[in-house]
Amino acid sequence: MFGGTEYMEINMGPQHPSTHGVLRLKLKLDGETVISCEPVIGYLHRGVEKICENKTFFQGQIWTDRMDYCSAIGNNLGWAEAVEKALGVTVPRRAHYIRTLLAEFNRIASHLVWLGTHAMDIGALTVFLYTFREREEIMDLFEDFCGARLTTTAFRIGGLGQDLPAGFEKAARAFLARFPACIEEYETLLSENRIWKKRTIGVAKLNAEDAIALGVTGPMLRAAGVAYDIRKAFPYAAYAEMDFEIPTRTEADTYARYLVRMAELRQSCRIIAQCLDGLPEGPVMAKLPKSLKSEVVEIYHPTESPKGELGYYLVGEKGGTQPYRFHVRAPGFANLQSLAPMVEGGLVADVIAAVGTLDVVLGEIDR
Amino acid sequence: MTNEAQGRPDRAVEMPKTVPLPGLEAYRADQQACAAAEEAKWQKQLSDYEAAKAKAEAEGKDAPKAPVKPVAKPEGDLKAPVPTEAQDPDLLRLKDVFGEAVEEFFEQAGECTAQIARDRILEVLRFCRQDPSMRFEMLADETATHYPAASDFAFSVVYHLASLSRSKRLRLRVLLPEGFELESATQVHRGANWFEREIFDMFGIRFLNHPDLTRILCPEDWEAFPLRKEYPVAGLGQRDIDFREDRSGRLTRRAQEQAGHSAINLKIPTAD
Repeated sequence: MFGGTEYMEINMGPQHPSTHGVLRLKLKLDGETVISCEPVIGYLHRGVEKICENKTFFQGQIWTDRMDYCSAIGNNLGWAEAVEKALGVTVPRRAHYIRTLLAEFNRIASHLVWLGTHAMDIGALTVFLYTFREREEIMDLFEDFCGARLTTTAFRIGGLGQDLPAGFEKAARAFLARFPACIEEYETLLSENRIWKKRTIGVAKLNAEDAIALGVTGPMLRAAGVAYDIRKAFPYAAYAEMDFEIPTRTEADTYARYLVRMAELRQSCRIIAQCLDGLPEGPVMAKLPKSLKSEVVEIYHPTESPKGELGYYLVGEKGGTQPYRFHVRAPGFANLQSLAPMVEGGLVADVIAAVGTLDVVLGEIDR
Repeated sequence: MTNEAQGRPDRAVEMPKTVPLPGLEAYRADQQACAAAEEAKWQKQLSDYEAAKAKAEAEGKDAPKAPVKPVAKPEGDLKAPVPTEAQDPDLLRLKDVFGEAVEEFFEQAGECTAQIARDRILEVLRFCRQDPSMRFEMLADETATHYPAASDFAFSVVYHLASLSRSKRLRLRVLLPEGFELESATQVHRGANWFEREIFDMFGIRFLNHPDLTRILCPEDWEAFPLRKEYPVAGLGQRDIDFREDRSGRLTRRAQEQAGHSAINLKIPTAD
């Protein structure tokens, strides 16, 4: 009080509504300024890696649903492709297209959850209701395809368990016709909203150099001006045949990340339309023996999940039906490392915006 | 761990017997051993046939059917990726510059792997990041694998480097015996911080010059390292008493008192 500074240490979380799960932040404050921020994670650790090492290649997939539960299909895709790469399976072209299509629908769904909750954290409650209206339609499409809405387990090793159901294409096209107007609706609510701009512009900045050094990927990196997208850099599934752009911004703040993700919604629509138009005929499942056995192999398969680089590392044993070692490089795990440099020196209220802009899902961070 | 595992198949631990460490030389040796075993089997079949034929002739019966040499048939759309000689310019350059420190280098499933001597890893990481022809700016992932069946090492630590400007990837691998410490990659890539904390948490591998080597996913007071192969999938850290039988928690408290535990069972069960 008289000379000398006294800091206040507070815990944000693990049960704070804006931490999207069980994230605990140890904050050291000087008045309203954040002096240091230390994320504490692990509250949702279930040992997915250990469990998958004791499940067969087929069974492992259900655990990937439960990591990033907002983009289960994206996780399934990475897992299926990683196992196929390790075993050397050739997947039919039609299966690749359908996978790409579903993964892009999932990207839209995941970004909608992010937009709704992020806006709600900052104080714009309305957006949540709008985004979940559209997300519901996507969930219905998933339910049509594989019977589940959230924990999809949509794929099989070698392709798909079933082809697209009757009426799927019509529903998907109806969604695509309606969705651009919905994006405009969200933008009307936010883009020029004075409060939204005050809460996001210049908040939680992370420049490209820091982002690369910290291993930050996805929209976070693209909003810092680095046009790096694994769908383009290391194409997988049917992305090599798709025509789309990588939206980037240079401001590297929360508002720029919002704009990047909104642009990604539009690009996803483009990819889905191309998948539907160019859907090749043919089988959706490769011809495989009943039990899959691996050789001695070690692979790392990166995919672009809605949050960034989702990599699966697999080590196979000779004649093994289970992975010898399974590791997930979760995008959220690496991205969360950047929280401390982003919020230190800022205001405590901006920590909420920073956590929101990271798009954290603790299910994948803690695994 | 045996008495703990009795009647609880989920708590039994089956230790691996092989060392699945991919490599060109290991693959070639394995191929040769397999071919020799096939040939021996075939020779035995032939000699068995000759003996049976001679016996049948002596007894005046019809000669038995001649054996057919088995031909490996392709299994549908399955073709296992095999290690091949390195063609990639990055790998060759790494070998040129570091010579003996690059113990092995090969390509498999379209991925480049280089095995580095463990005392040179920091140097190699720095070179990969800074050299204008390499430019691997990002450490995408760092993780480890436990190989209890190996004799001269216990772990492999792998670094997955990504070059954003060149759209290339490279895997560096280090073999590490039990108890050895590795130089922390945080000295080159700041992002290695949490990856190495996770490796420490899961395997107990310690890193030199790491800013904050503490547990990250498990609780601070957790004993043992979950991703080691001797750790059971279920059991450690679980409550031994079913909640349905023990709604009031009385049985749990009594069991804890007897075991001398403060809360849930974090102790590694011993043989006695």
